[in-house]
Amino acid sequence: MPPSARILIVEDSPLVVDAFRILFTEAGYEVDAAATVAEAIERGTTKRPDLMLLDISLPDGSGLEIMTALREHGSLPRATLAMTGHNDSKSRRICLDAGCVDVLIKPVPIGELLRQIERHLA
Amino acid sequence: MTMSGQQDPSALRKRINTLERQAGEAKRSIAELRSRDALKTQFLSNISHDLRTPLAAIITHAEILRDGMLGELNPKQKESVTGIVTGGQHLLNMIDEILTYVRTAGDKVSLVRTEFSLADLADQVRMLNEPLAAKKHISIERVNGDDLPPVYLDRDKIQHVLGNLIGNAIKFTNDGGSVWIAFSRRGRDGDEICVEVGDTGRGIAPSNHELVFHEFAQVDASASRPHHGTGLGLAIARKLVELHSGRIWVESQLGKGSRFFFTLPLDPPGD
Repeated sequence: MPPSARILIVEDSPLVVDAFRILFTEAGYEVDAAATVAEAIERGTTKRPDLMLLDISLPDGSGLEIMTALREHGSLPRATLAMTGHNDSKSRRICLDAGCVDVLIKPVPIGELLRQIERHLA
Repeated sequence: MTMSGQQDPSALRKRINTLERQAGEAKRSIAELRSRDALKTQFLSNISHDLRTPLAAIITHAEILRDGMLGELNPKQKESVTGIVTGGQHLLNMIDEILTYVRTAGDKVSLVRTEFSLADLADQVRMLNEPLAAKKHISIERVNGDDLPPVYLDRDKIQHVLGNLIGNAIKFTNDGGSVWIAFSRRGRDGDEICVEVGDTGRGIAPSNHELVFHEFAQVDASASRPHHGTGLGLAIARKLVELHSGRIWVESQLGKGSRFFFTLPLDPPGD
């Protein structure tokens, strides 16, 4: 794991963010969080994350809009892992086409989540 | 009607007016029931989504504790926290089943067809269910199917059907039993593939063969029943099979195991 790699959690549920914050901090990562598309673009452009964990359904739009905005700004993280509530091949395809490295179904078992993050940051 | 058999125009008009009024009332009632049903479905969908998020947080917190990320637990603590994870995942599976039901209940479901091998899909579902079966020392076997032609169907939906049938087979089969998946060709010129999921479990009385495919129906609905679930699995399976213009049924007797069958067309209608 690269020392103090920075993860941006984009997720509108504070309950889920709290759980991820504990998990990633304990695993040695630097953690930032955003609850909306607007906030994520602001956080992502202010300080570029190494990896973004992206909830697709956000109160003010689709998580994929964040990727477009960060790409235009030249602030796209090295890897973006999409998270969705349900498993269907159509939404999976849309996320991969938008540039996500993988699509995870919430809740992702923490062992698998940490392995994925480590792999994409390597 | 007059005594001579001729109709009194004013009585006839009155009768027509009454029938028209009743027809209008019936139409309004149907529209209202439909709208209430849609509201109920939407409510079920919203509440399920809203239940899912805090549950995801509970499971993640419990996994963090279980895996010792905040300090090692003693064996009893670990067992207890593992119980939270397992119970949470069980609840999550039930919520997901309700969400799938809601999505298939409307008429808006469309098929996303791709070409794939049914045998490979069956192997995948079998492997996903191996851990569950192993706990009860139940064997799962795919009997045949290597020579089947590829099918052009909605893979996710067929996987869901197979998953529900195999999950049920394991659930209702006692320790040491067996579950199998077999394929055969049916229909005119063999233009249908028939998929069988069989088990050596407790079986279903013939009087309940239709009932098991109804929403929320559980044949053994006694308070002490050991097999809790949403009662939606087979209703969803039927809906998904029918979306493919297939049929689903069960052949079984109490105490003699069950064999669930569903058919899938090899040449899908042009949708």
